[in-house]
Amino acid sequence: MSTSALTITDLTVRLGDLQILRGVDLEVPFGEVHALMGPNGSGKSTLCHALMGKPGYEAAGSARVDGAELLGLPVDERARLGLFEGFQYPVEVPGVALRELLDEMAAVGGSEISDRGAASAARLDMERFLDRPVNAGLSGGEKKRSEMLQLGALAPRVAILDEIDSGLDIDAVRDVAEAVEGMRGPDLGVLVITHYSRILRYLTVDRVHVMVAGRIVASGSSELAEDLEASGYDALVGEHDAGSEAVVSESFLDGL
Amino acid sequence: MPSPAEEDWRYVAVPGSLSNLQIPRSPGADPTRSTYESLLGETTGRADIVDGHVSGVAGSNIAQLAESDVSWYEPAAPVDRFAAAASAFGGSGVVVSADAGEIVSQPLFVSIEAATPGVVSIPRLLVVGAEASAVDVVVEQRSPDGFESLVLPDVEVVAGRAARVSVTVVQNWGDQTTAVGRHRLRADGGASVGFAEAGLGARFSRLHLTVDLVGRGADARISGTYFGDADQTLDYRYFMNHLGPNTTSEMFLKGAVAGAARSVFTGLIRVDPDGQGTNAHQTNRNLVLSDSAEAHSVPNLEILANDVRCGHGSAVGPLDEEQRYYLMSRGLPAPRADRLQVLGFFEESLQRFPNQKLEPMLRAAAMAKYDRVAS
Repeated sequence: MSTSALTITDLTVRLGDLQILRGVDLEVPFGEVHALMGPNGSGKSTLCHALMGKPGYEAAGSARVDGAELLGLPVDERARLGLFEGFQYPVEVPGVALRELLDEMAAVGGSEISDRGAASAARLDMERFLDRPVNAGLSGGEKKRSEMLQLGALAPRVAILDEIDSGLDIDAVRDVAEAVEGMRGPDLGVLVITHYSRILRYLTVDRVHVMVAGRIVASGSSELAEDLEASGYDALVGEHDAGSEAVVSESFLDGL
Repeated sequence: MPSPAEEDWRYVAVPGSLSNLQIPRSPGADPTRSTYESLLGETTGRADIVDGHVSGVAGSNIAQLAESDVSWYEPAAPVDRFAAAASAFGGSGVVVSADAGEIVSQPLFVSIEAATPGVVSIPRLLVVGAEASAVDVVVEQRSPDGFESLVLPDVEVVAGRAARVSVTVVQNWGDQTTAVGRHRLRADGGASVGFAEAGLGARFSRLHLTVDLVGRGADARISGTYFGDADQTLDYRYFMNHLGPNTTSEMFLKGAVAGAARSVFTGLIRVDPDGQGTNAHQTNRNLVLSDSAEAHSVPNLEILANDVRCGHGSAVGPLDEEQRYYLMSRGLPAPRADRLQVLGFFEESLQRFPNQKLEPMLRAAAMAKYDRVAS
C-alpha cells in the first residue's frame, strides 16, 4: 500500500483553553496540489502551526508525513521528516543573510540543500536577495518568493503554504502560483491555504477542502472553489455555527 | 569613590579602591602581539602603550604625545575621581594626525596594554584630522586575566572642517581589570566622526563618551557591540550634543548579558538652541540570556530647538520565540537556531563598525562567548 504525502486523522488542537480544531481528516497524495479554504478564524492557520509543532498548540490524533508520525516531535525534527511550512508572515531574522540561513540548513540537512537553494534562487530570480537579511525589508511578494526559495532548497515531502496569496498584488500572486506549479512533482504533496479563490485562477489544484469551525465540511474538485466564490462561505458557516464561539475567539487571537 | 546614588553612576558600583594602586614610572613588560592588528594588513603607523607609557611608535602620521600637544578640548571640571586622576597624572600617550587634505589610506593601530598587577595606568590617544583629511584608527585594549589593575583610557578625537575621522576600540581587558574611559569627539562643519567599541573583556568597564557636533552639517556615526558574562559590568554613558545647525547623528549599540553580568546604556541626545535641522537617532537593544543577568537601557532626549528630527529605540529581552520557531521550521535544532539568531543580533551592529576588517574576529569573539554560556 502506498502512503500519501500527508495523512491527517482525527486531529484536534487546543490553544490554551480554546478548542480550535475539532477532528480534522485530510489526505494529500504525492504529486497532488490541494487547496484548503475557509473563512477567517475557521482554523486553517492553526492546522498549519499544529502540524509544524509551534509551541502552545496542543494536538491530539495523528498527522503523518510519508507515513511518519509528526505529533510529539520537536519542530526541527518535523522539518527534517519532510514537512515545510510556508509562513503567512515570514519572520524577519535581522543580521542573518538568506545565504547564511541556507548554509545552516545545509549543515544540518546535507549539502544538496545548498545546490538546490542556488538553483531555486536562479529560477525565482532571487539571487540578489541571498546576501540580504532574511525577510528584513522585503515586500510581501519578495517574502513569499523567499519562502518558495527555501522550499525549493529543502525539497520537502509536504509543503503547507499558509495564506500564500495574502497581501500580494495580482502579479505577485501569479508569480507565486507559477512557483508552486514549478514545484509540483511525484515526491511532493502541496496544501495551499487560502482565503480567496483568486490564486486558483493561476494554480491547478487537484482537490479543494473547506474548513469551517475547526472541521473539514466539504471536499471536492476545483469547481468547489468556484461555487464558493459565487455563494460565499455563509451557507457553509450557517450549517456549522456550533463552533462560532471558537471562530470568533481565534480570529481575535490572530489579531494580537 | 563615585556611588550609584549619583545619577551619572546609577546602576553600577566600581569594584576595588584607588588608594592602594600605584602609578608606574615605566612599562612593566614588553608589548605583546595583537591578533587584531594582523587583520588590518598594511598599516600607516602603529604604537604600543604599556602601563600608560609609550613603548614604541612606528610609521607615519603618529607620534608620542608631547607637552606641546595642547588638548583641543576646553578642559572641563573633572566630574569624578577618575577624571581628576586622568587630568592630574595623564600625559603619556600618542597623537595621530592627518594634515589638511591628506587622505591616510591605511589605518593606524594603537595597542594599549596593562601588564603590571596593582597599578593604575592612564593611556592617552589624541586623533586630529585637519580640514578635509581622512584617517582611521584602530585601538586594542588588553591585559592578562587574573590580576587587578585599573586603567583610565583617555581618547580625544578632533575632526576639522569636512574631515572624516574614525576610531574603533576593541575592549579586550582581562577578567580582573577595571577600566573607566573618557572619550571626547568633536566635529567641525561638514566633518564626519565615527566611533565604535566592542566590549568583550574587563570585570568592570565604563565608557563615558561625549560627542560635540559643532559645525554646520557635522555628522557622527557611533556603534557598539558588547557581551558580558560571569560577573562583568559593562557601562556605557553616551552624550550626543548637537550644537550646530543641520547636524546628524546615529547611535547604534547592541549587547548581550549572560551569567550574572550587567550592562548599562544611558544615551542622551541633546539639541542646542542653535541645532536647528538636527537629525538624530539612537538605538540600543539588549539580549538577556540568563535569569541573573540584567541590562539597563535608558535613552534620553533633551531638545532645545524646534525644527529637529530625533528618535530613539530601546529594547531589553530574551531571545525571540518567533525567530526560533521560524528557524526550527527550516530544520535547525533549537541550539543552532538560537545561535544563528544571536549571530544576526550582533551582526547588525558589527556591520556598522567603521573598520570592517575587524568584523570576522569580533564576530568570532562574541560567538565564542556565546558558545561558552550556551553550553
